[in-house]
Amino acid sequence: MNIIVSILSLTFFAQVLRLFTPYFLGANAANFSERAGVINIAIEGFMITSALGYALFTYLTNNIFLGFVCAILVNLLFSLLYALFVIKLKINQIVAGVGFNLLMAGLAKFLIVFIFQSSSNTPRIPDLPNIPYIQDIPYVGEVLSDYIILFSFALIFISNFVLFKTKFGLRLRSAGENPEAGESLGIKIRLYKLYGVLICGFLSALGGIWLASNQNSFSDGMVAGRGYIALAAMIIGKWKPVNILFACIMFAFFEALEITFQISGTFIPSQIIQMLPYLITILVLIGFIGKTKPPASDGIPY
Amino acid sequence: MNAIEFKYITKRFGDLTANYNVSFAVRKNSVHCLIGENGAGKSTLMKILFGIYKPDSGIIKINNVEKSFDSPLDAIKSNIGMLHQHFMLIEDFTILENVILGSEVTIKYKIDFEWSEKTLNNFNDKYNLGLNLEQKISEISISEQQKVEILKLLYRNSEILIFDEPTAVLSPVEVKEFYKIIEKFKDEGKTIILITHKLHEVKEIADRVTVLRRGEVVYETEKENLDINILSRKIVGDVILKNDISKETVMINQEDSVIKLSNITLRKNGHDILNKLNLSLHNGEIYGVCGVEGNGQSELVDLIFGLEKKFSGYLEKNTNKISLVPDDRLKKGMIKEFTIGENLILKDKNKLNITKKYLTGLTDEVINNFDVRVPENSVIMKLLSGGNQQKVIFAREIELNNDVLIFSHPTRGVDINATAFIHSKIIEQRNAGKAVLLISSDLDELLSLSDKFGVIYKGTLVKEFSSELENIQNETMKNKLLEKIGKLMIGISVE
Repeated sequence: MNIIVSILSLTFFAQVLRLFTPYFLGANAANFSERAGVINIAIEGFMITSALGYALFTYLTNNIFLGFVCAILVNLLFSLLYALFVIKLKINQIVAGVGFNLLMAGLAKFLIVFIFQSSSNTPRIPDLPNIPYIQDIPYVGEVLSDYIILFSFALIFISNFVLFKTKFGLRLRSAGENPEAGESLGIKIRLYKLYGVLICGFLSALGGIWLASNQNSFSDGMVAGRGYIALAAMIIGKWKPVNILFACIMFAFFEALEITFQISGTFIPSQIIQMLPYLITILVLIGFIGKTKPPASDGIPY
Repeated sequence: MNAIEFKYITKRFGDLTANYNVSFAVRKNSVHCLIGENGAGKSTLMKILFGIYKPDSGIIKINNVEKSFDSPLDAIKSNIGMLHQHFMLIEDFTILENVILGSEVTIKYKIDFEWSEKTLNNFNDKYNLGLNLEQKISEISISEQQKVEILKLLYRNSEILIFDEPTAVLSPVEVKEFYKIIEKFKDEGKTIILITHKLHEVKEIADRVTVLRRGEVVYETEKENLDINILSRKIVGDVILKNDISKETVMINQEDSVIKLSNITLRKNGHDILNKLNLSLHNGEIYGVCGVEGNGQSELVDLIFGLEKKFSGYLEKNTNKISLVPDDRLKKGMIKEFTIGENLILKDKNKLNITKKYLTGLTDEVINNFDVRVPENSVIMKLLSGGNQQKVIFAREIELNNDVLIFSHPTRGVDINATAFIHSKIIEQRNAGKAVLLISSDLDELLSLSDKFGVIYKGTLVKEFSSELENIQNETMKNKLLEKIGKLMIGISVE
């Protein structure tokens, strides 16, 4: 009974929303890259660098805004490096992605030890500011007055619009589907692939920044596989923004459920609940959503 | 007035000279046919014209102005459009998206879908294309895909149109339709360059013909002096055409069919793809099936080969030893990244110890016996021309020594020389007493090879011919028969 009450509560809703945000940003990040035909499994790594970048630069400059901008710049730089490897040098994208993930996790650990002499986390940093007026709305104001959360709402429409209604999106998608065809019509395919990777870097940076801001620090292991779940959400969502939205909500819902169960201590072992999102992912992939088909030229160097 | 002038174009890829000193002109408002064997350098030349390749030397003049294109975009800007041999379409895009890609009209940031739709539908009506712009490429037939490519050219206001083997994938009815569109282009003052293998089509439509062999211009002629015999000799050079093999009488027992289909019906997505179909294959007999693509031919093949199992009716197979040369050789017939030898042993289930030496020996044998032309023995299949790929697939399927052979569009996109060779091999198999099923959209091929001949329409063999085929040498009889078949193919019944 208690559990049902807590599920129906606003706290639960806010929890789902908070869990949802980094998933959705990560999944859309990956989607822009894959729609351009570049597999980027380094979303995890990109979230780590931006989370650390945000915490580090905010601490050093004592200015949230500068920290925010620097974190994004850091990610764009890493994205350029990734693009250099996979677009220019045509290195296998899975290998490069794994490399980046390992590199970034290791680098983050090294830097916090090196700079802060701590093996686990950075000093405390302030939150991102709340949005005025919205935060005064009763009940939901607190969670909705977050810039990044609001942006991820907008991203549902932005993603859909950019990918399917604009010239840019059409060309970007042609790079992921059949680059030869695009090239034969004069489209600079590699440039669009680069755009895809850069957008991916930007969106995953927002995810990382949000995590660090929400936790008021960067700590080792804080991204905790969210980048990979974002990838799963993208696949379940069949590379379509609206479907990705539902996939992310599902993951967030079950994770929130798990937390609620853990707190209220039911007879169901929390490990079972912990399994649920993954179990459901497998079930969903088996048949509930039909065939998932990636962009035809996804992952093939051009 | 010349629309295009090639002057001393030379292009080399490593050791291979694709074009050497090519010079000729294309008159404005004419249909200019460019012919030659696979690998004669036609496509390379057109790719140079379209800005995909840069020539090593030589110049191109468009409307008497020297031009140098760095990319297709430059060519498109000069109102040149190209219909590639392998369609440049995006399967997951709609027809509309495919057409506007790269030349989108926008209002602020948004693509002006309404305007695009209106514009495209205008072309659609004017040229009778009959396309539904909302459909995805993956949902439409090959001939419709070609129309999408044509729509792309129209949308870009192309004045000079390059068609690279446009009719290779079309059925006779569709070819006629296609030439109507070409005529219309000419009426509007456009200039057309057409690459083709089919000489009787050249005779029908060309104003001027240029023949390329081994990268050089070897012959040019005007419409008035066009002679198919001369053309074919110019195309192949000194090589003797190997179509001298003739059919021998094979003693067959009509009662014993190797494969017999009675009343076969196959339903897919609520449609009867095959509908009460009857057919029997006999030893020492070539059974030809013709029809407009998509009337059940590929399902018929799958069914006999054993890939299609959900059907009603009675299928009697007296053998399971069936060879298949599939219609889409790139996707179904071979593994592109494998060498010739590796492709040859794909179906060999018994050989366990495969050494490099064994593969080399096998490859050499096939290269000799089947006249496969390769730069080197260990080349991967992808790098061979279509005709040579097909020969390798033929070799594999024939060496299996099976009782039944199915050939689906065996000479599609294959040059004259290789076609003659393949035809001789098919007849050889028949003479050896095998049962052969031949599916093709090339009526000449079907008529000259088949012992029996059926027209398939909407999944039914609507008519079978056999004795009529004996008088095929007689021009008038042949034309009468062709007319009959043409009608049957589009569903008009004849007496």
